[in-house]
Amino acid sequence: MIKILKSILAGIALGSIAMTAQVASADDTIKLGFIGSFASDTGRSTLRGAEMAVEELNAAGGVLGGKKIEIVKADTRQDVAEGIKAYEYLAESEEVDFIVSGSIDDVTLGWLPRMVEYKIPTLDTWTSYIGIIDKLVEDYDKHKMYFMNIASDEALASLYVDFGKDILAKQMGWKKVIILQEDTAFGGAINGLVSQLLAPEAGIDVVDTIVYDVATVDFAPLFSKAEASGADFIYVIASVNSQVVASQYVKLQVPMAMTGIAVSAMGQEYWEDTGGAGGGISTLSPVPSVGFELDPISQEFVDKYKAKYGNDRPKYPHFNGFNAYFGVKQAFAAAEKAGGFKPLDPWVGAMLEQDLKLDKDGTPWMRYGFWKPGEKEERTGRTYPHNARFDITKPYDDGAPSMVVLQWGEDGVARVVYPEKYATGKFEVPSWVKK
Amino acid sequence: MEKIFTTRSILLWILFAVVMCAIPFLAGKGFLRICIQAFFLAIYAMSWDVLSGRTGYVSFGHPFLVGIGTYATAILSYRFDMPLIASIPLGILATMIGGTILFLPALRIKETYFALVTLAFMELIYQLTQVVRPDLTGGTRGISGIESITTGAINNYYLSFGLMFIIAFSLWALMRTRLGNALSAIGMNEEAVKGCGINTTKLKLFAFLVSALVAGIGGAFSVHYFGSLAPRNLFDINFLFTIIVAALIGGSSTIIGPMIGALFLTFLLEYLRPWVPGTERFFIYGIVALLLYMYRPSGIYAIFWEVVDKFKGKNASSIKDSTSIQGVK
Amino acid sequence: MTQVLIQGLMLSGLYALIAVGFTLIFSVGRVLNLAYGAYLMLGAYVYYYLVQSLHMPKIAGMVLAIAVGALAGWLKYKLLVKRLNGDAVAIEISTLILAVVLQSGVVLIFNDSSKILLPIVNGITRFDGVTITHNLLTASIMSWLILGGLLYFIRYTHMGRAIQAVSMDTKGAQISGVDTEQVNQLTWMISGALGAIAGVFFASYTQLSPSMWVTPLIIAVAVVIVGGIGSIVGSLIVAHIIGFMEISVSTFIGAELRGVFTMLLIIGVLVIMPKGLFGREEL
Repeated sequence: MIKILKSILAGIALGSIAMTAQVASADDTIKLGFIGSFASDTGRSTLRGAEMAVEELNAAGGVLGGKKIEIVKADTRQDVAEGIKAYEYLAESEEVDFIVSGSIDDVTLGWLPRMVEYKIPTLDTWTSYIGIIDKLVEDYDKHKMYFMNIASDEALASLYVDFGKDILAKQMGWKKVIILQEDTAFGGAINGLVSQLLAPEAGIDVVDTIVYDVATVDFAPLFSKAEASGADFIYVIASVNSQVVASQYVKLQVPMAMTGIAVSAMGQEYWEDTGGAGGGISTLSPVPSVGFELDPISQEFVDKYKAKYGNDRPKYPHFNGFNAYFGVKQAFAAAEKAGGFKPLDPWVGAMLEQDLKLDKDGTPWMRYGFWKPGEKEERTGRTYPHNARFDITKPYDDGAPSMVVLQWGEDGVARVVYPEKYATGKFEVPSWVKK
Repeated sequence: MEKIFTTRSILLWILFAVVMCAIPFLAGKGFLRICIQAFFLAIYAMSWDVLSGRTGYVSFGHPFLVGIGTYATAILSYRFDMPLIASIPLGILATMIGGTILFLPALRIKETYFALVTLAFMELIYQLTQVVRPDLTGGTRGISGIESITTGAINNYYLSFGLMFIIAFSLWALMRTRLGNALSAIGMNEEAVKGCGINTTKLKLFAFLVSALVAGIGGAFSVHYFGSLAPRNLFDINFLFTIIVAALIGGSSTIIGPMIGALFLTFLLEYLRPWVPGTERFFIYGIVALLLYMYRPSGIYAIFWEVVDKFKGKNASSIKDSTSIQGVK
Repeated sequence: MTQVLIQGLMLSGLYALIAVGFTLIFSVGRVLNLAYGAYLMLGAYVYYYLVQSLHMPKIAGMVLAIAVGALAGWLKYKLLVKRLNGDAVAIEISTLILAVVLQSGVVLIFNDSSKILLPIVNGITRFDGVTITHNLLTASIMSWLILGGLLYFIRYTHMGRAIQAVSMDTKGAQISGVDTEQVNQLTWMISGALGAIAGVFFASYTQLSPSMWVTPLIIAVAVVIVGGIGSIVGSLIVAHIIGFMEISVSTFIGAELRGVFTMLLIIGVLVIMPKGLFGREEL
């Protein structure tokens, strides 16, 4: 019975020889790897941002002495194991020179050990988990090939406290909050930051916290509990299935205000996906969010994006599409300066020098740059090596604000409501909530 | 009782090892990485097959067993800085103990209900990892940056192949003993086995322990290879699907079947990548698996035999062989 | 207390609706249809596409969703179940594979971001501080009506009796002249149709997503296991036990433990009394 082993072995040997022949890449191209979920709006935003940057660079005569850039894509399906396989594929089957990622938190954490092993310069455009920046703080040399082109979640929360102070406490006069938090690490981290900062700094008391399971079908009992708690408003933290909590809030017409983080509300497709049952929801969002007024250069990107991909989801790039577009250009500019992506140190040094300041009507508006190792942010007093350079103090002219608060009106238009400098509308409670 | 080790079979095992060990000299690193994934999948599939393929007790909770081993060693080494030489064996032990305590009551339930109760265990543990001590388990995010045993594609290729080879050989030897025969007999007719005065509960427990041991080894070693773990990924119907399908389409109740199945599935998926990089890949993969399972439930291994026999113009010999390798239903 | 009572009653109605199609197949075909959740997904996505993308009237969307569900059930029987010839384990596994394939199919067509289905019936009523959405109320009433109708159909019509006969003893039914093939086809179609209806209501309350088949499948499995196999009345009672348990756990203990108790209930019942709380009675 075992004689067939022979044939199998022969087959495997043949296959492996075929595989070796397949590798071998041309010397006149530079390979850029994309890792992310192909089927999600966020993954596609990063991919398209990168594609547009590459198209422009190739059209301008290529990089590093006329080489053309070729994009190799690897799907993660938002799945950790697939993410690891995808990274291995890019690194070892395709031998890419540089990787741009549109991965979500846990997927990035999954392939991070691979990145450390292969030492491939990697630019992340979606994950905002401070834990990854912490890894750079702890062991810089090991992780220095990593750049996060979006303000970390801690920076988001720090600026969010100002929203609490200026709008929730001062303008709305709210004193008590009940936190409705999904049972995820993200939820726990944001809750920790908000309840530690919001209470003392904005003078808002946290009366209770409800932690819910992400597979929760029915939010009615939770909203009842929130109503009974005597709080002035609900603070929701939802990244997984956040449409459910948002739309049930609208469908149940819960008679108290709700704000916080609802990740699904960050994209232009939100209104279509909720069929309009999402009015009144507000969320913090990294910049540039939907409803965000753009500087001319970013606007040019959006116009080109719409012309190219206008009929296919997402019709409007998510924030990480911008990050990928500008970030990929910066990564190649750094490579030009350093003479390539290898060796690592000169490229990392050149990447840290990249600094794109975008003005709107003569005022600093957006900025794409990175915190250097050892450089302290004044307000939090800590370092954020290789994190996108953000600004969390008025008037936000040392970088882009780490976040804005946007609100979907019941008319289906998203407006930025905070900070004032970027606001295009006013924060309002939904019509069914009695003031 | 036939002789367990014939010279010919031992020689073939050696040949198998030699050829597989030669592959790193011929193939690229990308190819080796795919092999490593396949080897770990083969270990899980063999583990599933020992319990479910042989005895007919279909486990839908294998990710749960793999998960215990994975979490135990990851927590011990990452959170408590325990050296791998201690944490891995403890992880394997934890799989056997934890699995037994939780699964044991389920072994007296039959067929469909056994499958469902193991599925419920998987769901339960998924929910619990997020609620109970997230400071240890890492909650939904899991743990990243777990110490690795060795780095590089070639080293890990040898490590994972070595593991798979030892497990496959041991299981093969075990299944050729009287014990192995008795296990397959349970799958065919449990009452009849009982009637012969054999304690089937003890036999099932034995099969379960072997299965848990193998799953624990696979889980504990793989987490130190991948370097990270996430509950959404481990306790997942898709993971369960991959394990079961690898065992079944390779050829259940054989040792070589799950290995073929694992290699086939992994390479199918990876070789589709350059042509259909997106979700289409999984769609095709699922359909291939479904069709193979529907139309050739005895697996690729048996198909191979049929082809060989047709080629030789023989018909009779295939029946003899395939009864010895199938024997599930 | 009023709140737990009202919310529990409504959620339970939804759960009963989800579970009933699954129970039916389990009692007649003796097989676990692990792709049952996919009926819900199919029904919900068809409805979403027709009503929210093509702006067809709701009733047309509902009817077509049901038709697609019934067709899916019939196809599954013809192409899959019949071929495997009643091998329970093989059917379980192939339906599991099928569900995973369908999930990829949905991702391909609709992309993997979740979508919200608008309420099928608009409006809310506030009663004693509790909000009742008319949508969920309709789902509960529907589930009662459907369950009642199904019981009537099975007990008092010729076809229903035939189904009942097959569910008790296939061979016996065959001998007494029941066309088991026809009965099986019909049962699979009814199950698919019921799944599609449940899917539209379930999605209109939660969301549409390519992995939305898992939760209802687990609810259905829980109801069937705890209730005892193939008992419609038992399923109805257990849907209420589980519904009320979830609401109570969310309200009084902690919302994050919602699913834990359901799983513990399944495991406990299976281990302690494998036949379920209500054993096996007539349909």
